[in-house]
Amino acid sequence: MSIHLGTMLFQVGAVLILMLLLKRYALGPMMKVMNERQEHIEQQLTIADEKRAEAEKMVSEQKEALIQAREEAKELLERAKVQKERESEEILQDARKRADRMIQDAKEEIALEKEKAIKELRNEVGNLSVSLASKLIEKEVKVKDQSKLVESYLNQVGELQ
Amino acid sequence: MTPKIEFLGLTFDLTIMIATVVTCIIVFLIAVLATRSRSMVPKGLQNLVEMLIEFSKGITRMTYDAKTAERYVVLSFTLFMFIFVANQLGIIMMVTAEAHHPFPALGITEEALKETHGIAWFKSPTADLSAALGMAIAVALYTHIVGIRSGLKSYLKHYIPPMGLIHLLEEFSKPLTHGMRLWANIFAGEVLITIMITEGAPWITGAPLVVWMGFSLFVGAIQAYIFTVLANVYISQKMAH
Repeated sequence: MSIHLGTMLFQVGAVLILMLLLKRYALGPMMKVMNERQEHIEQQLTIADEKRAEAEKMVSEQKEALIQAREEAKELLERAKVQKERESEEILQDARKRADRMIQDAKEEIALEKEKAIKELRNEVGNLSVSLASKLIEKEVKVKDQSKLVESYLNQVGELQ
Repeated sequence: MTPKIEFLGLTFDLTIMIATVVTCIIVFLIAVLATRSRSMVPKGLQNLVEMLIEFSKGITRMTYDAKTAERYVVLSFTLFMFIFVANQLGIIMMVTAEAHHPFPALGITEEALKETHGIAWFKSPTADLSAALGMAIAVALYTHIVGIRSGLKSYLKHYIPPMGLIHLLEEFSKPLTHGMRLWANIFAGEVLITIMITEGAPWITGAPLVVWMGFSLFVGAIQAYIFTVLANVYISQKMAH
């Protein structure tokens, strides 16, 4: 095995040319694409991170809003309950008052009617006594009959009352 | 024995030149075909070449800082792929012809024919000492250029006696071992394959041949890796000082 300078030079030259060609037509463009891809991936990762942080923030905001809404609803319910109780109380009181008043009215009316009736009765009694007197005067009635008559009248009056 | 031609007073080994050119073409075709589409989402052959580029990047990152590493990716890729393909080519295809008449133009003389009639027309370029050593010496020369460019003073300071003498000796032994390691491994593999093919009955050498070829493929990959790593290490050594 001997060493030939010509073969050596040819070998080195061929490898150098291969290197230049590879760099120019294959590796250069490929590595550029690979670097671009790496940048792209890194960029996407950053964007994803940002998006996730945003989403997390939004979720926490939503949670807070939900809690707030729940509290508000609770408060509203509480208030409604209180109002309802107050209103029912009011209505009850109103109804009671009105019933009292109606009873009072009815009582008064009854009293009035009673008085009226008594008054009418008195008038009637007066008239009757007048007519009785006139009858007594007109007709001569026996004492016995008379007393009988008066009694019957009085009875009638008693029934009327 | 290989055919040789004389040109400008230099001897060129025709077989090695053919093998080198074929290897270069194969490596170039693989790389160009694989990177033709260059899509953001790699598929098919592009995956393979991207894997090899990442592999080369890994080799460079072992020895350089991140910024310098990028510059030597192409060198590492080329060295690795060339040596790898060259090693495997020699195992897969060895073309040998019989020559019975002297052909002085190709260096096939009467005396040479007395030794052997086999003329190899195709074998691993890395199984040739000239080719392997040539690449190693070229790498060594490049390391010296890098060393001088990164600071002449510190470069020369490295060779001040007495330690400098050892360093000087090292500068010769480094390319020698670098090239010889590759050549010896591949050459030995091919010699053994040739012996097993030509000598002995196939039923004796058949099974060992298959095993040895498999091992040679493995050795070819390992040696390509070692040569590339060492080239990067030698370059980075000159950078550090």
